[in-house]
Amino acid sequence: MTYTFKIKDKVYKIDIEKEKDQTVIQIDEKDIPVEFHKIDDHMYSIILEGKSITIGVLRNGKKLQIFMDGNLFEIEAISERDQRKAPQTLSGVQEIKSPMPSRVVKILKEVGDEVLVDEGVIVVEAMKMESELKSPIEGKVTDLLVNEGDAVEAGTSLLIVSSE
Amino acid sequence: MFNKILIANRGEIAVRIIRACKELGATTVAVYSDADRSSLHVTLADEAYHIGGSAPAESYLVIDKIIEVANKSGAQAIHPGFGFLSENEEFAQRCEKEGIVFIGPSAEAIRLMGDKITARKIAQDIKVPLVPGSDGAVTDVEASVIASKIGYPVMIKASAGGGGKGMRLVRDKEEFESSLRMARSEARSSFGDDSVFVERFVEQPRHVEIQILADSHGNTLHLFERECSIQRRHQKVVEEAPSSAISAKTRKKMGEVAIKIAKAVNYSGAGTVEFIMDQNENFFFLEMNTRVQVEHPVTEMISNIDIVKWMVRIAAGEKLPFKQKDIEMKGWALECRVYAEDPETNFMPSPGLLKYVKAPSGPGIRDDSSIYSGCEITSFYDPMLSKLVVWAENREAAIDKMASALREYIVLGVKTNIGFLIRLMDSEEFRQGKIDTGFIERHPELLTPGTVDLEPALIAAALAIDDLEETEDSSKQDQSNWKLLGRKAALSGGSLI
Repeated sequence: MTYTFKIKDKVYKIDIEKEKDQTVIQIDEKDIPVEFHKIDDHMYSIILEGKSITIGVLRNGKKLQIFMDGNLFEIEAISERDQRKAPQTLSGVQEIKSPMPSRVVKILKEVGDEVLVDEGVIVVEAMKMESELKSPIEGKVTDLLVNEGDAVEAGTSLLIVSSE
Repeated sequence: MFNKILIANRGEIAVRIIRACKELGATTVAVYSDADRSSLHVTLADEAYHIGGSAPAESYLVIDKIIEVANKSGAQAIHPGFGFLSENEEFAQRCEKEGIVFIGPSAEAIRLMGDKITARKIAQDIKVPLVPGSDGAVTDVEASVIASKIGYPVMIKASAGGGGKGMRLVRDKEEFESSLRMARSEARSSFGDDSVFVERFVEQPRHVEIQILADSHGNTLHLFERECSIQRRHQKVVEEAPSSAISAKTRKKMGEVAIKIAKAVNYSGAGTVEFIMDQNENFFFLEMNTRVQVEHPVTEMISNIDIVKWMVRIAAGEKLPFKQKDIEMKGWALECRVYAEDPETNFMPSPGLLKYVKAPSGPGIRDDSSIYSGCEITSFYDPMLSKLVVWAENREAAIDKMASALREYIVLGVKTNIGFLIRLMDSEEFRQGKIDTGFIERHPELLTPGTVDLEPALIAAALAIDDLEETEDSSKQDQSNWKLLGRKAALSGGSLI
């Protein structure tokens, strides 16, 4: 299972692999075996490479409060399950279109890149405001139809994401 | 000894007093506002009475209501705690009139020490060292003349002030006029009295205070000093006993001066004489607090004397069984005030539902608090969650113990200053005792977590959310099975159980 978290606008991706009696965490392309135990509804004990850490956890919808070493971190979570649930009506091939006449500022994903639901794929600028256009589905970028710097009309297809 | 005692307060101090009274064999009576129905002091007391709305002015500050409960419940004495009515002369007088013992000094002592200008005059008469300044409230013109005479920097203070309200530091003449205006307006809105006085500002001052214990038989003792130099917005955050800045000689002298002040107003009960001290151990009288102090536990830890119990016993007429020479100071104690506040946004209070708390424990660790998982931290009252107190053989060991205990704390639902307190305990300057009242302002880097390894937090977040979703999924499964069974039963004309 892959989890995506946001802390103060920074996005982190964490993968949990569960084997029979072993849980392995993948973060920053590192594999870390963990031992995990729930003490009560809000307290978890984690043993990370021999280091024992006790953490307070409070969940409120997609927001998580993590209390560790006196510091409270507010984390926004997007789980793979959420990503699967949301796009059920949206699948197959999706065109990312320009919502208004604008200029392509930055292309965030290239052909072949994997994208998650709500992940930014392209940044456009209109009326001196930049906005990040997001993928409505999980999938792969199959076509890139514009270049950075291009001026585009409202409704122009910019990029195509395919779930298959 | 009293059979029944009313505790006219709330929060951790009410809990602390209720426990002491119970241990002394008295029945305890709590009073509570709308917001405090489920507070710990209510559940812990033997009796509890509702006294009005959540705002203090509708409940904890209403003398008539508290007296009414005391009479109705048959309480013989009232312990006022700190804040609220604890230093209210009228309340002490009213208790006297109603034949209820006020656990504290006489109304007269409260009056004399409560007004800072009168207190200063008394100190002056008995030759207690004072910070140079105006002899009393001043007009705008006088204030400016005096400020120039004693020399900048100067401090403008509200005559009726406390807790840092109506206080302004002025570094040069140009700022004086606007600062004076602000101090007066703050004093007017906080205390309904805009009179102010002016005094010299001691550079890099340390706040050192002496705990007094006096019975009504003429015995006045001191329980050594506390240092409370770590402050934010003129309010104490960390307190310790003893002070790392004073010699045995200064300690003795300061203690004697404090006793002199207490005796000058015929003081009885527990009280605190506050001093401001410069870097050369010169100290000046600031004020006397005629009540139990928030930070009294650190003194209890080093002196092994239960101050709250002695307040009750003294009020009941008991004589102190020990002399000054019998009181020994042992080891080092530290107190950290854990607040529901955000150090990153100028210590803004963070009220809300405290969803979960796990407090530290272990030898030498004392957690004076009234919080529990699921309690509400309301904006009606001070956002202090707990006073974490530790005792160890010396200062370094006490700091180590405090840092370790703070790391055991878990609080969810509201923001706290725990991370800040840990960084403070770890800071080299604090450890070396190089502290003064400007310490926090000088160290803004302690306010934010800085570079923290987020990896464990992220891993925990992932594992926790994974676990939570698994639990949710399986409970949904259970529910639908039950529903199915119910439907089957209904169809076959039967019922479940």
